[in-house]
Amino acid sequence: MTPATNLRAVPFARRYLTFTWLVLGVAAAVMVAAALFQPSILVDTFVTGGMWALMAAGLALVFGVMNIPNFAHGELFLIGSLVGFTVFSPIQEAILENPDATLLKVIGPFPGMIAAALVGAAVGVGLEVLLFRPLRRRSREQWVMNTFLLTAGVSVLIVNADRLLIGNDFRGITRYWDVRPIQVLGVSISVDRAMVFVIAISTIVVFSLFLQRTRIGRAIRAVAQDEAGAQMAGIDLNRIFMLTLGLSSALAALAGASLLFMFPSFPDAGVQPLYLAWYVVILAGLGNVQGAIAGAFIVALLQTLTVYYVGVGWVDVLPTAFIILILLFKPSGLFGSAVKGIWEQ
Amino acid sequence: MTSEPVTTFRSRLVARSVAQRRRALAAAVLAVALVLPFVPPFDSQDYQRWLVGAALMAAMATAFDFTAGYINIVNFGFAAFVGLGGYTSGLLAVELGISPWIGIFAGAVVAGFVGLLTGMLTLRLRGIYAAVMAWFVGLAVMGLVRNLPDITRGSLGLNVPLLLATSDNLPYYYVILAMLLVTLAVLMLVIRSHIGLAFRAIGQNVQAARASGINPTRYLVLNFTLACAFAGWLGGFYAHYYGILTPDVMLTSHTVEVLAVAYIGGRGSLWGPAIIAFPLSIGVEALRTQFATLPGLHLVLYGLLLIAVMVYWPGGAAGLLRSIEARLVRRRADRTEENRAA
Repeated sequence: MTPATNLRAVPFARRYLTFTWLVLGVAAAVMVAAALFQPSILVDTFVTGGMWALMAAGLALVFGVMNIPNFAHGELFLIGSLVGFTVFSPIQEAILENPDATLLKVIGPFPGMIAAALVGAAVGVGLEVLLFRPLRRRSREQWVMNTFLLTAGVSVLIVNADRLLIGNDFRGITRYWDVRPIQVLGVSISVDRAMVFVIAISTIVVFSLFLQRTRIGRAIRAVAQDEAGAQMAGIDLNRIFMLTLGLSSALAALAGASLLFMFPSFPDAGVQPLYLAWYVVILAGLGNVQGAIAGAFIVALLQTLTVYYVGVGWVDVLPTAFIILILLFKPSGLFGSAVKGIWEQ
Repeated sequence: MTSEPVTTFRSRLVARSVAQRRRALAAAVLAVALVLPFVPPFDSQDYQRWLVGAALMAAMATAFDFTAGYINIVNFGFAAFVGLGGYTSGLLAVELGISPWIGIFAGAVVAGFVGLLTGMLTLRLRGIYAAVMAWFVGLAVMGLVRNLPDITRGSLGLNVPLLLATSDNLPYYYVILAMLLVTLAVLMLVIRSHIGLAFRAIGQNVQAARASGINPTRYLVLNFTLACAFAGWLGGFYAHYYGILTPDVMLTSHTVEVLAVAYIGGRGSLWGPAIIAFPLSIGVEALRTQFATLPGLHLVLYGLLLIAVMVYWPGGAAGLLRSIEARLVRRRADRTEENRAA
């Protein structure tokens, strides 16, 4: 944040770093012990953590590459759940009419999820072309705060357009796959939840491979590190920005569609996923994609522990308090790096 | 409040006449606000309720702009500070029988204190962290209020005694108008002092401000605390005017509403948000009653306006008025030039 020449400006935490890690280590040990004590905590953590990882990775990517703190990320989740519901409803009816069509039963849920991801990507590209590009062309002054407000406007617009055009009621399903629950670690979990975990993990693996191994992925990371340098190397920034926002929006929409059986679609459906993704991203350090994936599981564990040992009502309060505490000691996030992006200057 | 560098005698005269005209305009706006509840259709209870809501929104947007427009940090937990002030004052009145007139100041102190703590913890970080952390603190406070039904009655809602002995809207309008004027006057005085200069320096470039010997954190915390205290004070009025408090007062969507009004009014002007809040929130109420079957319509409009302002029209209404004024001044200067030449 500042050069260390001014002693008062040295973050309080850096002077007590060993102490911080000690506290964190004890906290982690307590959590793991509590989780092992009750295996269902572990299962819940992995299922929800996978989805928060999808949300948070997209949020972190957009911040890292475009320096946009996306307040409308939850609305992509909402759009995803809406598309998922619209596509899956007729398929569900078809399944009910032909109870013997095994293939339909198995692959039935996927078209909705794929459609959600595609629509999400289209919305993301649209936002970049219609809003962020004109703003970028006009002025990049105070970019981070301005885009934060701009996305707040987008969020209000989408939520209330949904309320106005689609309606204020819940649109959800009870389950995607109508099969008996499976046993993991002595805990019975529904196939839907298991599948959500599989979808989340495979998407994250593909996404990471894409960022690490392909030319375009490298270009995206190059822009995140040094925009001017990337441009000099011949990277078309506009294309990368479009792709980044599209990709991030697709991930959020996919999360929305896959979690339809837990989070029915209604205008405020995006609120909780939004601030959970933000907890994760702030905890992990803004713009850190890999950290966000790890952080998602930490936040999921905090949530699950709160639900099990304190009460559902406290699920917003205790994790928040814990995150604020951590940030007191490590202001740049758990996995915050010393490398500074352009936005920090 | 930026003025052109005053160099010549004539430009100084122009500047003085501009200041005079501004003062006259402000007096005219105030006069309109004072007589508005007697002008049809505003002389009925329903419309006067809208006016009270508009003045409250104006005051909140002004306090919001004090942080957002000058030190460029958006307090995303603003609604929670409003609610905190409201609950403090309300609980004091319900549990201890303390007069709301004292309670609303206690609410301001509590909200200011929580704002001070939040500010001290977050404002040494970068702006975006402070904004998001204020949001988290707001969410946590809302969760606390919701989860302590023994004290706050949670989602059932807390019934609070009224500020005045009457439920007639007219006296409330003058109370909140006075509160709006106090908010505006105090914050403008701060902005015009050397403290305000420091705020703007920090808002524009923290490194440069630090190089000029300003301790950014101290000023940021001062600004944040003051704005939160005003939010709590206004929250007290909210509580004792509507008579019922639920945790929903603290919803982020309410922060976004205030934020939209502040930015549409024009960031960094204080008076812009205060003035634009009246047509905006009265128009919104009119829409809401006209199209009661279309929920969310007014918020769609807020969203569209906020987007348009952010992308195409960063000065908001205040920026528009300023550019009109600048054009008038220029035209007049040209005319005197021509006269002299003739």
